[in-house]
Amino acid sequence: MNNIEIKNISKKYDGFLLDKISFNVPEGSIVGLIGENGAGKTTTIKAILNIINSNGTVKIFGKDVKQNEKEIKQEIGVVLDDSFLSAYLTPKHINSVMKDFYKNWNEDKYNKLLKQFDLPGNKLVKDFSSGMKMKLKIATAISHNPKLLILDEPTSGLDPVVRNEILDIFRKYIEEDETRSILLSTHITTDLEHISDYIIFIDNGKIILNGQTNELLENYGIIKCNKEDFSKILKEDYISYKKGKYQYEILTTNKEKIKKKYNILSIDKPSIEDIMLFYIKGER
Amino acid sequence: MIKGLLKKDIYNLSSYKTSLIIIVLFCGIAIIGTDAIYWGSIIIGIIVGMISLSTFSYDEISKSNKYILTLPVTRKEIVLEKYILAIGATILGGLLGFILTLLVGNVMNYLRPDNLIDINIETLLTTSIGGMFGISLIQSIQIPSIFKWGAEKGRIQMFIIIFFLIIIGIGIGFLIQQAGLSIDIEKLEQTLKQFNLVILIILMAIMYFISYLISYKIYKNKEE
Repeated sequence: MNNIEIKNISKKYDGFLLDKISFNVPEGSIVGLIGENGAGKTTTIKAILNIINSNGTVKIFGKDVKQNEKEIKQEIGVVLDDSFLSAYLTPKHINSVMKDFYKNWNEDKYNKLLKQFDLPGNKLVKDFSSGMKMKLKIATAISHNPKLLILDEPTSGLDPVVRNEILDIFRKYIEEDETRSILLSTHITTDLEHISDYIIFIDNGKIILNGQTNELLENYGIIKCNKEDFSKILKEDYISYKKGKYQYEILTTNKEKIKKKYNILSIDKPSIEDIMLFYIKGER
Repeated sequence: MIKGLLKKDIYNLSSYKTSLIIIVLFCGIAIIGTDAIYWGSIIIGIIVGMISLSTFSYDEISKSNKYILTLPVTRKEIVLEKYILAIGATILGGLLGFILTLLVGNVMNYLRPDNLIDINIETLLTTSIGGMFGISLIQSIQIPSIFKWGAEKGRIQMFIIIFFLIIIGIGIGFLIQQAGLSIDIEKLEQTLKQFNLVILIILMAIMYFISYLISYKIYKNKEE
């Protein structure tokens, strides 16, 4: 069962086209949306949430989002990078406002989270640090126990300690109930290596990679070789290459096959960031 | 859901309360106690009514609009809430203006028995409702322009719209004059006096309703 199913989502802006994006977010999984700034991650999220008009279909919990918007949104928690309820409210105000929006708003859970995150209840949000603001946004997003979390850049601009804390919250949230799922967009790909089950890579409005995180990290490999060895490797056996001062680096999708075929002894394990960079900056 | 949005706006405005009290007191002291006492109710009414529109600016500064659209609330409810707030502020402003003017006028009369201000309740009621009419006219024009262009830009557009409305009004007056139609001003005044409060209230309701329809049409397809 998929919590999100999107098919052929398209959206055109001046100088940008989100081009027929399709993917699923299965129950019990964390799906990471990666890509450069301006690649189309936020536009995709906005289309899923029906904040912008787009072509294509979006189904959440099996229902069309345009027709069942209010009902569906009762079960979703959202964190947006640059937008929140108001900077001129305190966490206490937010509790009082949110219980009027969500039928399942759990005041106790919210207050516990505030305590856990060390957030003062009577301070205006505008006076919070960016880490505190993000923690408050997350506490607000999960206090009605939604089935689905949609998070746009939830870790950007945060220091590693806070980032880890936040990733822990997501991990626990999924572990609590296996019908839940999380869709999160980020350009900090190292975060995803630790928590995501699937990775979707958007570049220039198109999906260029969609796969299980483990498989990507296990199967992809980077071969480092000199010009002579590079010339022996067939084009069909690699995604792209980078030409360095002394050596060539080549990204392959099936390192075991390449190892045997060309009798290569060592192939490096790439990070998600390496893979992303090879797709964006590499040569073919 | 509308209750939640109203709460958010009222909490936002609560940071305004000190400046609001100062403004009302300042206006009160400046005007009340002079012969222009009836202006007090109009000005207080307009200030309170206009403050409700600043919730749009709070939303814009916090970039709340995008987030609000992720909550279980419809676009219709988002638009409706702003009108409930605006109408509430207009009524509150009218009441406050009326009560404060009456109160301060009487206090002044008590303090200065040799220099009595004549407070006519009926005239005070008419000016208060007149003030409410003025603010509802401004709100009815300004809310759709804010939905269309945003709180900052909307302000400039509002003045342009008011400018054109005045031009159109003058134009119609000119055409009537040119066509040789004569309007019996005295009769018009008489009718207005007889029904003025009822007419003004009905007009206000019509203005708000048309303005709401326009705002909803604008916001229905707006992208944040």
